[in-house]
Amino acid sequence: MKDFRLYDISDFVIDEDFIRWVHEQREEDNLFWNTWLQQHPDKHLVVATARRVVESIQFPQSNINEAQVEQEVSRLMNTITTQQMRQEPEKGKVAGFKWWYAAAALLLCVTGTWYFYTRDTSVPPYAYASMVAAKQLIEHTNTSQNPLILRLPDGSQVTLAAKSRISYAHTFGSADTARNGASRDVYLLGEAFFEVTKNPHRPFRVFANEIVTKVLGTSFNVRSFEKDTTIQVTVRTGKVSVYAQANTQASAKMSEIILTPNQQLVFERTRQKFQKVLLNNPIMIVSPAIERTMIYDDAPIDKVFGDLSKVYGINIVFDSDLLKKCTVTADLSNEPFYQKLSLICSAIDAHYELIDGQVVIESTGCK
Amino acid sequence: MLNNDTQLEALWLQRLQQNDEQALAAIMRKYYTALYNYGTRFTNDEALVKDCIQEVFISLWQRRESAAEILSPRYYLLRAVKNKVLKSLHQHTIRINAMESESAYDFYHEFSVEKLIIDKQMSEEQATTLRKTMTKLSKRQHELIYLKFYQHLDHAQIAGLMNLNRQSVYNLLHETIQKLRSLWQAELYN
Repeated sequence: MKDFRLYDISDFVIDEDFIRWVHEQREEDNLFWNTWLQQHPDKHLVVATARRVVESIQFPQSNINEAQVEQEVSRLMNTITTQQMRQEPEKGKVAGFKWWYAAAALLLCVTGTWYFYTRDTSVPPYAYASMVAAKQLIEHTNTSQNPLILRLPDGSQVTLAAKSRISYAHTFGSADTARNGASRDVYLLGEAFFEVTKNPHRPFRVFANEIVTKVLGTSFNVRSFEKDTTIQVTVRTGKVSVYAQANTQASAKMSEIILTPNQQLVFERTRQKFQKVLLNNPIMIVSPAIERTMIYDDAPIDKVFGDLSKVYGINIVFDSDLLKKCTVTADLSNEPFYQKLSLICSAIDAHYELIDGQVVIESTGCK
Repeated sequence: MLNNDTQLEALWLQRLQQNDEQALAAIMRKYYTALYNYGTRFTNDEALVKDCIQEVFISLWQRRESAAEILSPRYYLLRAVKNKVLKSLHQHTIRINAMESESAYDFYHEFSVEKLIIDKQMSEEQATTLRKTMTKLSKRQHELIYLKFYQHLDHAQIAGLMNLNRQSVYNLLHETIQKLRSLWQAELYN
């Protein structure tokens, strides 16, 4: 925590938090600074001067509008799609691979068409079309190129990706007590990011092809396009459980799987296989202020791993008896997750492995 | 809020790495105004700035495999746009090391005091003094203030972008702030 009592005018003027207060006037900042000024009445003049200085630094607004920005975005999208089509294979090996890739894509198109023509009889029961049929549902389709933000009747927010569809029942958010215990069900075709409002009595379920994702209150992403060969569920905060829809081949192989922050479930639809992995670039689930306290001087290893686990919500498995004598001296306050992990491991001469969405530490112990 | 922004950015970068064009579009939407504003500090040629921004995003797409290594997209993009714009400006003239000397490139920037006068936070007289103070600042000081207060970069990032060490950034910033501060202090203490 910064000690603002020691701040001079110039220190305030260049402090990020102070600038944010003056520029954006956020409620939480107002609250903080007003309280702070009450506690330190002698600082009024210093703060007032600093405010005037920051306020006097104003910049001319950019003369570009939203429509122009959109124009530039579509120009970019055009360039990258045509570039990809034009890209020529450079070497024999690569070319071979790409041809194979093209063949696979073609095969998918063919099956897609076949599905289309024979839809009435052969759509699997878990496909979007059959889940949605015969139910009185409200449907949203995102035909635009931009993510569409929707608010569901229960207050949850859905960021629907392009070319994606979502539906839910009329009774979805009803406060009817008779429906207490009934789940909040949505059906997804495509990709969406969910920020779910907490309601322990009404679980929130996302049906996406073979997979069902159930949560109580959290944020997570589901990607399941009909033509995709995998279904991916990624958790940002909270905890979700994922299971296969009943009567699918997958349901026999997969029981309920719990996902925690920074974990992703990848379900391979053709091989009906699933795997739990850690994200390549895990994000912190706590405020960055906590990360800044990760400076250690001869600290016991269970404290260090404990902090790391808390900051990213990632489970770290290690033998605390064996590593009892290991200590760490390091500044880990500003590194990405894997960098932190490698630094700790090299300090105690250990290795790590990623198994089933967790970190497993292997070591022979310290002397 | 800040934390949410960083989380969202991390998500975009990750999706970019997984070949998602929409993530690229989202990043462009978020930063376009800031990049355009910065780019047009170096030249009046708006079409050139737009082309440079396009090229920067195309090369980000081509290097999407390593997108996760980008810690601050804002810093990465500002830096790329600056380099691209300066490079294309000097392409047909003498090849000079743009970063080295004060006069190597122009930085057009005018502080707008009009809004402050309208908001009645400042009198005409004070505005004149402020303008005068500002015109005494060097181009580097202008760029520094711009990066600090408009683009909200931290000192290490400013140092990287302006090819200075952190201590010089701090010194230069302090010197600038001192000038501004004496202007207001005189008024408030009287």
